[in-house]
Formats: sequence, C-alpha cells, structure tokens
Amino acid sequence: MSKFEVPVGPQHPALKEPESFTFVVDGEHIVEVRPRIGYNHRGIEKAAESRTYIQNLYLMERICGICSVAHTTCYAQNVEYLYEKEIPPRAEYIRVIINELNRIHSHLLWLGIAGHEIGFDTLFMYVWRDREHVMDVIEAITGNRVNYAINTIGGVRRDLTDEAIAKARKVLDILEERTKYYRRVAAAEPSLISRVKGIGILKPSDAVRLCAVGPTLRASAIKSDVRKDDPYSAYEEIPFNALSYDMCDVFSRILVRVDETLEAINIIRYCLDHLPNGPVRIKLPRNPPAGEAVSKVEAPRGEDIHYVRSDGTERPARYKVRAPTLGNIPAVCDMLTSKADCTVNIADIPIVLASIDPCFSCTDRAIKFVDPRKQKEWIWSHQQLERYSRRKANP
Amino acid sequence: MKLGLVKWARTKSPWLVHFNTGACNACDIEVLAALTPRYDLERFGAILRGSPRHGDVLVVTGPVTRQVKDRIVRIHEQMPEPKFVVAVGSCSSSGGVFRGCYNVYPGLDSVVPVDAYIGGCPPKPEAIINGVAALLAKIRGG
Amino acid sequence: MSAPPEKYLAEEIKRVFGDRVLELKTPRKRRLFVTVNPGDYKEFMKYLAETMRITHISTMTGFDAGGKIEVMPHLFGLGVELTVRTSVPKDKPELDSVTDIYPGAVLYEREVHDLLGVIFKGHPDLSRLVLPEEWPEGVYPLRKDYKAQQPEPVRKG
Repeated sequence: MSKFEVPVGPQHPALKEPESFTFVVDGEHIVEVRPRIGYNHRGIEKAAESRTYIQNLYLMERICGICSVAHTTCYAQNVEYLYEKEIPPRAEYIRVIINELNRIHSHLLWLGIAGHEIGFDTLFMYVWRDREHVMDVIEAITGNRVNYAINTIGGVRRDLTDEAIAKARKVLDILEERTKYYRRVAAAEPSLISRVKGIGILKPSDAVRLCAVGPTLRASAIKSDVRKDDPYSAYEEIPFNALSYDMCDVFSRILVRVDETLEAINIIRYCLDHLPNGPVRIKLPRNPPAGEAVSKVEAPRGEDIHYVRSDGTERPARYKVRAPTLGNIPAVCDMLTSKADCTVNIADIPIVLASIDPCFSCTDRAIKFVDPRKQKEWIWSHQQLERYSRRKANP
Repeated sequence: MKLGLVKWARTKSPWLVHFNTGACNACDIEVLAALTPRYDLERFGAILRGSPRHGDVLVVTGPVTRQVKDRIVRIHEQMPEPKFVVAVGSCSSSGGVFRGCYNVYPGLDSVVPVDAYIGGCPPKPEAIINGVAALLAKIRGG
Repeated sequence: MSAPPEKYLAEEIKRVFGDRVLELKTPRKRRLFVTVNPGDYKEFMKYLAETMRITHISTMTGFDAGGKIEVMPHLFGLGVELTVRTSVPKDKPELDSVTDIYPGAVLYEREVHDLLGVIFKGHPDLSRLVLPEEWPEGVYPLRKDYKAQQPEPVRKG
C-alpha cells in the first residue's frame, strides 16, 4: 500500500520539522513508533574535549537542568576514579543529601506535569507549590535553586551549615506529610486511576530486553537501582529500600516515583543524623593520570552512565554521556505499539510519554503521524495532541 | 504602527508564548515556576498561551540548535505585529555554556530580533518576572 | 562467592576465550575492561548475553584513536560494569551489529554511526539520530580531525 504526504497543521508544509517521534497508525491505533531525537543535541561531548576537567563541571551540570547534580556527581566520580582517590566521607554524605533532594524535586516536578497531562491542573499547582520547599532547602545549602555547582573534583565546594541542616529537617517533615497525601490521592482517586491503570504497558521481559532504566524499569517489577547494584558515594552504608511495582503501567510508574520520594526523605534524614565530621574536599593535581573509567549514578530518571578517557593532559581525550531518558526510548516505543493482546490509541500518547519522565523539552515537541491505509500524514504539536487526548478522555 | 492602538492593545493582558529551542530545561522550569502561586507572573497581566498566532510576547529558552532554527524563525513570523521577544537565560542570550558548539547558534539574536535579555543560568523566577514586567512597562509606556 | 564479581567474570572470560582476549583489566571493584578483535566481537557478545546472561547494555562509546576507531559497549550484569572494546580501521569502519543479541543497543549503535561514521552491519536502521538532516554526509563531529564550528548567524545580533 503506497502512502503520500499530506501535511496538515499550522506548520508550513515545506518546513522541516524536527519531530521527536513518528507514529504509524491505523485509525486510532498505533502500529509502529520511530524515534528521531536531536532536538536538543548541542554537541556536548565534542565540547568536553576542548575544555579542562574543571571547566567541564559547568558543562556537565547543564546537560539537564532537572537532574543537574546527578550529572556532576557522575562526572566528578568518574574523574576521581582516574585519580584513584577517595573523597572525604563527609563529602560523600553531602553528595547523597543533594542528590536525594534533587530526586525529590524532580519527582514532584514530574508529578505536577503528569497531573497536568491527565487533566488535573490543580494537582500541578499544589505539587509545584510544595516543591518550592525543596528549592528553598537546596538554595540554603548550595546557594542556587537549579544548577547547584556543589560538586567539584575531590569533593564538594560547600559544607552544610547548622541553619541549612535545621531548615532541611523542617522541610522534610512538611514534604513527608504532603507526599503521603499525594500517595493517598494517587492510590484512591478513581478519576485519576481510570486514566492511568492499564495504560502504557511494558512487560518485565520487554523492559529487560530493551534495557529500560530507572522508575520505568522498576514499575515493571524489576528491582534494579544503581544505588543498590553498583553502589557509589555513601549509598553502601545507608539503609534504604529499593522498590518496584508490578502493574507495569503508568499507574505503577506514579507509585514508584511517589514512594521513591518518601524513601529519599528517609535517606536524607539518615545522612543528617549520621553526618561524618571532617573536610569536604581534597585537593587533586590539575591533570588526572592517563587511563579510563566508567561511572554510574541513579539519576531521578534512571541509570546515568559516563565514560572518560584521559591522556594525562588537562583535557579529556573523550567524554561520553548517556543520560537516562535515551535508555528508555526503545521501551517507550514498545509501550506505544499495539500488540495482539493490547491496543494503544493516539489519545494515550501524552500520558505514556510523560510516564517515562522524558528529559527532552516538554513544550512543543512535534509529533508526526502516518496512516498508510487512509494515505495521510500529519504533524501535531504537543499542545494539539494534549487537547485531542483530553477530548477523548472527556467526551 | 499606530501608537494609540498599541497603547490600547497593551492595556489588555499580553499573551506570552513560551518556546524551548533545545534548552536543558532549567530555564523552562523556572519560567513554569514563575506561573505558580508563589511567584504568580499572571498578576502582571501576562498569560501563557500556546499559539503563536495570538501571541504578543515570545519567551524563548535554550541555545538555538540547528534542528530548531527554522521553527523558531517561523514561529516568530507567525506572530502578529506588534510582537516582542524575550531571551531567557544565558543560552538564548549568547549561547551560554554551549557557545562554540557545532550544533548551536551563538544566541537567539543571531536568528530573530530580541527585545529583552534575562541573564542567568537559569535566572530565578523573580528575575524572569522582573524582566517580563520591565518589558511590559516599556511597551505600555509607548 | 569468594571472589569479587569482577574477578570471577574475568577468570571465566579468560577460561573460555583464552588468548583471543587481547587485554583484560579490573581497575577497581565492579569494573572490568576486556579488549577483543573485531572478528571475535560478535561471538564474545553472544557469549556474554546467552551464556553469562548479561543482558543490560547501558550505552556504546566510540573513540577516534587515530588510525582506528574503538567501539566500546558498556554492559552490566552479575554485579559487574563490563566494558568491551574492539577496534576497526578508520578507512573501513565496519563492525557487526549486536542488535539481534542486545535489542537495547539499537539507538547506541545508531549514535556511534551518526557521530563517528562506524557502519554496523545488520543494524535495522542507521538513519540519523542526533545530527540535523542537512548535516553533510561524511562529516563526523566526534572524529579528531573535525573542528567544531558554530553555525553562521542568520542576522547580526
């Protein structure tokens, strides 16, 4: 069956659209998904080769503004592996505290956005208001809300003050209460559950086969977490639960993230209660020894992996980053493809995409549709797809 | 452009259109935070809207990647006059930390005209509101 | 288990592949780096996936090493972060795709192809992943001879 192009939509037909996905459909049902990333490809790996190791800290933090510190932690660790030097224990604990605070802010951010995708705009406002508490604590500790600049090679740049610690404890109490409230809402609100139960199924065998990561993987019954499987920083000493849920759907992913937020609160409390004394950084020579290393952290979205090759000079010979979202693209394509026992509709796309917590821009991703049987192709903006999805949910 | 008409048009709530040109999302989440009750950008009479065809102010984040360049130019063309462009963050102001990278333009103004620059990496919501409010005051002032 | 996981895996690999392992090192706990020839690469990856049940691939790094391009899949299993290394000549950069053994590798091979020009034989779709459509053929940004050039401004800033 031949197909021809009939571009429809506000975009000019001759405009080349950097769409992130192309969906091959048959009426409402999605038959195939083809990813095409590149929307925010900036050329970071090349840039890293012409900057020093210290300059690259600032570059790495800006790979993703939401999980910024996960990347700098992974990076700093990687370079510290080259030096074969351990950083002071107090620095490791501070790294854990900041990383877990970052996880809380990221999961709450996501919860608000997911709420918006389902049609619960008030949930978005409530959650983002609560999230401001986390931003306040992060600012009290690091001096910044979003890009913390807390990590350096050899430790962290700032110590925790008593005021910051006191503030953190207070905020954790508030957050715990609020998160438990969201947990109750998520588990019991019928209009929410009906929109997310049974949607976006990713079978455990497919999750493993397609190498999914993070909450996406853990919501398909696979209890895999870098903090447990390949412990880094102070995680080996800190008691906490790795969790998974086995419903394999969007609902499962919501529960994983909400429970991880509660777990993160406990981890931070443990760290504050057991904070080792001592310095927060060691000084290291400007050039790391020649060699290579692999570093991994559990970012809020999942496994973040970095590779470094040093030739003994002040600039890396090669720096490779695989941010977690890329690891979940094959899985989300699978979730969005209809199978014999499970059809997937166009209206499901926004919430299923959101359920993997994608790290590319959430506004204005163009999505292309191809219907070979009806012989048409069209491009929608994310807003158009959202509106369509909401209309289908509330006829 | 008739100044009287402009002033009248400007006394209504200007519609903001937000567009991400390849940003890391830091500026975007602070733009969104600016809309939440704690900061409440909307009290300045600005409303975030989706469609460029009805937009007055284009709020842009991100270093403009090659893939996105045609799109941002097109969106700018689709906006009716009078229109204004705000570059939010270091990346849209100059390319930021990505200046010199092979896939990134050296700042939004190398692609479309810019009326206001809000520096920061990312700028705090207060700074974003400050910048947008200052632009609105300038527009209203004629 | 008496031996640390990376030592255990190293011993198994040496036992099965002998001197087809060109280099092997365990620089720290849970880290193992193994180098093989391109001719043995696919068989080695099959062994890791099917015999040792190491099924998770995190990513693939490509590296311009001058006359050769190194291709390094990073795998995780048995508690070990294992990096496999093989090298192909730069003037004929072809390597077997492992997407039939590791379906999760499909985007990682595509990325190495896009940025370094390695051709993975048998890959279902090596179309562009991260570079723009109009990016010139044969220009690979991560090769050392490519000098990063920012795009020409459309207007004066």
